[in-house]
Amino acid sequence: MSEKSEKFIVPIGPQHPALKEPGHFEFTVDGEVVTGASVRLGYAHRGIEKATESRNWTQNMYLLERICGICSHIHALAYCLGVEKLAGVSAPPRAQAIRSVVAELERIHSHLMWLGVAAHEAGFETLFMYSWRDRETLMDVLEALTGNRVNYSANLIGGVKFDINADQRDTILRALEFLEERTAHYMDIVTTDVVFLRRTRGIGTTSAAQAELLGLVGPTARASGVARDVRIDAPYAAYADFPVTLILHNVGDLESRFIVRINELLESYRLIRQILDHMPEGELTARVPRRIKEGETISRVEAPRGELFYFIKSNGSDTPERIKVRTPTMCNMASVPVLGIGQQLADIPMILAGIDPCFSCNDRAAVIHQGDDGDTWTWERLRQYGIDYYRGQP
Amino acid sequence: MRELFAILFFPGGLFLLAGGMMYEWADHKLIARLQNRVGPRWFQPLADTVKLLAKEEVIPSGISTFLFIALPIAALAGALTSALYVPLGGLAPTYSFHGDLIVALYMLSLLTLCTGLAGSNTTDSFSLVGATRTLTQLFSYEAPFLVALLGPALAAGSWQISEVNTYAQSHWLLFLQPIGFIVALIGLLGKLEMPPFDSPEAETEIVAGAMTEYSGRGLALFHLGRKVELMVGLTLVASFYLGGLGNPIEFVVKTLALLLGLSVLQSLMARLRIDQIVGLWWRYGALLVLAQWLVLMLIGGFTS
Amino acid sequence: MRMGAMLTDVIRALFQRPATRQYPFVRTDAPERLRGRLHWDGEKCTGCSLCVKDCPAQALEVFMVDKATKRVVLRYHLDRCTYCAQCVVSCRQSALTMSHDEWELADTDKVLFTITCGDDADVQRMEELAPKDAVEQP
Ligand code: SF4
Ligand code: SF4
Repeated sequence: MSEKSEKFIVPIGPQHPALKEPGHFEFTVDGEVVTGASVRLGYAHRGIEKATESRNWTQNMYLLERICGICSHIHALAYCLGVEKLAGVSAPPRAQAIRSVVAELERIHSHLMWLGVAAHEAGFETLFMYSWRDRETLMDVLEALTGNRVNYSANLIGGVKFDINADQRDTILRALEFLEERTAHYMDIVTTDVVFLRRTRGIGTTSAAQAELLGLVGPTARASGVARDVRIDAPYAAYADFPVTLILHNVGDLESRFIVRINELLESYRLIRQILDHMPEGELTARVPRRIKEGETISRVEAPRGELFYFIKSNGSDTPERIKVRTPTMCNMASVPVLGIGQQLADIPMILAGIDPCFSCNDRAAVIHQGDDGDTWTWERLRQYGIDYYRGQP
Repeated sequence: MRELFAILFFPGGLFLLAGGMMYEWADHKLIARLQNRVGPRWFQPLADTVKLLAKEEVIPSGISTFLFIALPIAALAGALTSALYVPLGGLAPTYSFHGDLIVALYMLSLLTLCTGLAGSNTTDSFSLVGATRTLTQLFSYEAPFLVALLGPALAAGSWQISEVNTYAQSHWLLFLQPIGFIVALIGLLGKLEMPPFDSPEAETEIVAGAMTEYSGRGLALFHLGRKVELMVGLTLVASFYLGGLGNPIEFVVKTLALLLGLSVLQSLMARLRIDQIVGLWWRYGALLVLAQWLVLMLIGGFTS
Repeated sequence: MRMGAMLTDVIRALFQRPATRQYPFVRTDAPERLRGRLHWDGEKCTGCSLCVKDCPAQALEVFMVDKATKRVVLRYHLDRCTYCAQCVVSCRQSALTMSHDEWELADTDKVLFTITCGDDADVQRMEELAPKDAVEQP
């Protein structure tokens, strides 16, 4: 037999039961052991960044909120904070507090959902069902508070749409009480259940140095002992007045990602209670002009999956000149093919789920090279390509 | 005449298929309730089967078409045949001879074997990985499971299912051979590819494992075989370890109790990796039953 | 380290009713703040079109039928609306509100999704001025 024996490749995606979202992974396996991996993204590119340039500042908020269905509030928040910075206004303290409450509620819903998905990837259906059942309590709270289960549209440029009244405060606190008890129980399960630990302990271990090298963000980085949390490093909204405790764990395997995220849940419960108890009084909105002053800015927030980054440039009109979004999954995705090598095939879905991937956040235009011509697209070439494309003569 | 009736209606054929569907429904319903969900309605397995049978069967290219069509039939036939030797419904088995225990068990394994072969008979990488896992798992649980079922046979002094069943009616072997019971129960989970032993068809890794390329009739036949296997397996373990099956009421009560046990076990565990499964069976399963066997033989040696 | 850490949940669930909501058979009231179908008060509306400018989904069209008497017709596209409530915030006259219990709005007929609100006479005049674009059938 020749040395160049055929490689055995297991493709995962773009349609695959492990991922309900489109992304394509190719794992070269030797028996059950993965020896090579590659990722290809870009199946759900929607051209949102370009689309923002033809909408006014207000309309864009709703467009950007729809980049992701799970962390919708945080996208709108990052955008609003950026635009407010550009316009030189800042939302009143009560509005900032409400923004933080919704952001934390969203984090809770996202982390509980992740817990279920990760359990499902490991075949632990019961944990999946229970964590999603409990998450439903929180979805009800969000619905009662904001008026929708997914796209909360709580933000306005310059404030928020609604107040939190005493009734709603009680609803939130009641839900948190129930969730706190359940979360402690889940912590107990993921750290003691023997069968589950066999699937998480010591799997996909990322050292702090590796995490730094790959540029991981969010809970994925914190599980490797990298102290990185925008809420602490550069507080926004109400996080300066209501400080967050940094959650760290330094083993870096899947188990510690569970531990970090569950501890973050507990921290979010605490934070929401604190904000609700010391809610600043005052207005809900500040006036923001329809045209935003010329200039450019960046805006960083901590999404449930890690740092979310917005670059906003205004030319003084009522539409933005350029908006650039960098989502946390984009940073974390690089770790999957790196960590996957040498692992069992069965652990791959777990490693992928471990970064809490969100594909709709992730997608941008991708150029696929057939072969290794390795050429670079300069800005001029890209621009010319765009002009030609729209003229219909690419 | 009698044979024809036995094969087509009771205990073979229709009765088995209907029974298998009911047991599968009970299993799904129990798991759903354990997970605080509602679960399917009673005709769901029937509806699934009818739907699959009515669907187009896509035969992939580049494979042996004969095997592709024959394997599901062989699998279902094996499962149905094995039912002829077990005390279904608490009644005496249709056929009975010395050593039919071994025949019944291997007829059951035929299903798994066919699944493995069907997976190998494709060019699809999910199927190939699934087939490897199916066969690897078969070789890991088969021996301990067999030994666990031979425990009661040894105690009864016969390798004939009906005789072991009669013997078990006066001896609750669950208490006399607890280790054997546990191994048999877990072996049954493995045989039926239920969690935590569902790695051969782990949907989040390899879609449907060996079954990935199957659709329509072939898939329906494989699924029917699985349902029949569930019923036969439950009957076997219940008649050996739960005080025998003397009449239909005992049959229903005991198999359902066993099914409840299986459902609880399934819902409590995450999926094990294939290497972990092999390690588990050979390191603990096999050794435990062998130890128990040894004890049984020693006791048997002293008392006789 | 233990086996079956979820045993208590599982056993308790056996004696509990399923948590699933049997939606079409059992209905729970929608929360007070739910953003449902949009309602428009023609008496308050001044036809300023601020709502149209800010609507991210181009779901609203405002027709000024008579400038002097402030007769306005609003065409609302239910199928385009994202229920974001921006129009409610943008409207200075509080002419727009969202209902919290009208949310089961799905239908198989596309025509029903285009809702023209206003006085009958106004609508007729508006239609003469600006004929409704044909709606393709599904
Ligand atoms: S709710 Fe939003 S999408 Fe609907 S009409 Fe109002 S602004 Fe437009
Ligand atoms: S913003 Fe209010 S007043 Fe102005 S057109 Fe719309 S509904 Fe009428």
